[in-house]
Amino acid sequence: MRRVTPDTIAVVDLAVCDRCGLCLPLCPPEAIHLELNILTVDDATCTGCEKCIAPCPVGALAMAPLHPNAQLLAPVTHA
Amino acid sequence: MPDVDVLVVGAGPAGAVAAWEAKMAAPELDVVLLERDRAVGSPVRCAEGVGDAGLREFANPDGADWAARRITRVIFQAPDDTEVVVAERGVGWVLDRTRFDAYLAAEASRTGADVRVGAEATAMARNGGDRWHVRVKERGQEEVYRARIVIGADGVETMVGRWAGLDTRVPSRDMESCAQYVLQGIEFDPDAIYLQFSDAIAPGGYAWIFPKAVGVANVGLGMVALKSDGRNARQYLDAWIARRFPNGARTGYTVGGVIVHTTIKKTYAEGVMVAGDAAHMINPLSGGGITNAMKAGRLAGCTAAAAIRAGDTSERRLSAYHDAWMSLLGEDHLKYYRIKQALEHMDDDFLNSLARTVNRIPQEKRSIGRIFAHALIKHPQLIPVAARFFV
Repeated sequence: MRRVTPDTIAVVDLAVCDRCGLCLPLCPPEAIHLELNILTVDDATCTGCEKCIAPCPVGALAMAPLHPNAQLLAPVTHA
Repeated sequence: MPDVDVLVVGAGPAGAVAAWEAKMAAPELDVVLLERDRAVGSPVRCAEGVGDAGLREFANPDGADWAARRITRVIFQAPDDTEVVVAERGVGWVLDRTRFDAYLAAEASRTGADVRVGAEATAMARNGGDRWHVRVKERGQEEVYRARIVIGADGVETMVGRWAGLDTRVPSRDMESCAQYVLQGIEFDPDAIYLQFSDAIAPGGYAWIFPKAVGVANVGLGMVALKSDGRNARQYLDAWIARRFPNGARTGYTVGGVIVHTTIKKTYAEGVMVAGDAAHMINPLSGGGITNAMKAGRLAGCTAAAAIRAGDTSERRLSAYHDAWMSLLGEDHLKYYRIKQALEHMDDDFLNSLARTVNRIPQEKRSIGRIFAHALIKHPQLIPVAARFFV
């Protein structure tokens, strides 16, 4: 169980993901699963450490706000 | 609820060999070999190169339809494209993994193992008894297998290892991110494999050309993301191919991870063994894992058969598998890993000058040992590398 709730967690773009499984052993809390050809990141377990992001050979993983409405709460910075 | 003696998860080289060895050692056992994908050997996530001697311990490549190309030369390429040719007889083979893995699975089937494709293990628990309960999804149905021994041969992402409580995680610096195309209509020596080392091309790894036929090759690279300039493996590969083979037809594509670490600390648990990539049994210098996986599969299969016959599938008993692996190859991998760490400090200028040094040795006298000796004299910065090898 993670101690601190991260602001951002890893999310996978399944349209890009090749299901190679490379990211699974890279995840310290073992939050990434590959089952029935679908890669998932458990958002309750991901600590936001980003260790899975750069190694993805096709760039299918990215960081995104944990709270889906976080963008609504963020200040507007553009005109 | 099917009751089996040995349930092997993953029908790659480790799993197929584990299944046939268990069945041959103890024909009375029920051995089931599960393959998640709809076809054994597909998708290919491999450069398909294998050494001749290791391969022949398990299968005869002469005339086999699964052996795509015999290799008699290795061409090392420096960052500036200077080539160093090392020729040896019977260096190795480039396989057709879709056929090779199917051949191995068929051999397992021939011994009496039950090969099941499209069957994915999705969970596993001990439930207090002396058997593992493994949930398997197969053609939309779910079954729970009860197994005395589970052999996890489920590759880089091993779930069996995880379910059994083994630590199969890997540090980022020891994960090679790989991408590869099958290129057609390109020019190269079809009897050679090419390995190019350069931080600009494949930081922390190397780029390769592995021939599958005249004019057709697996062209790929492995790199360590921590050393990347921000690009991913596919982007590095696209850049390399644009320079080397701008007119090659890309007829296939694959990506994947190669763990260039050492064997996991513990490859066994109560009623469980993990083998091959799942246990990080990959040569950390070359990234090669096919024959390692088969050797580990053989050890795991034999250990499983003997353990079940003896009525003892305890962790203590199965630890013999780990010990046998470490003596066979695991200890060597620790040495190779130290060399890999030392080589990480070699930059592109050094590699260019090393290639020129080696090329002064006549090709017929160019053995690995002589290259090493010459390199040490001309490039004293290699001495710490040599020291690490022998310590």
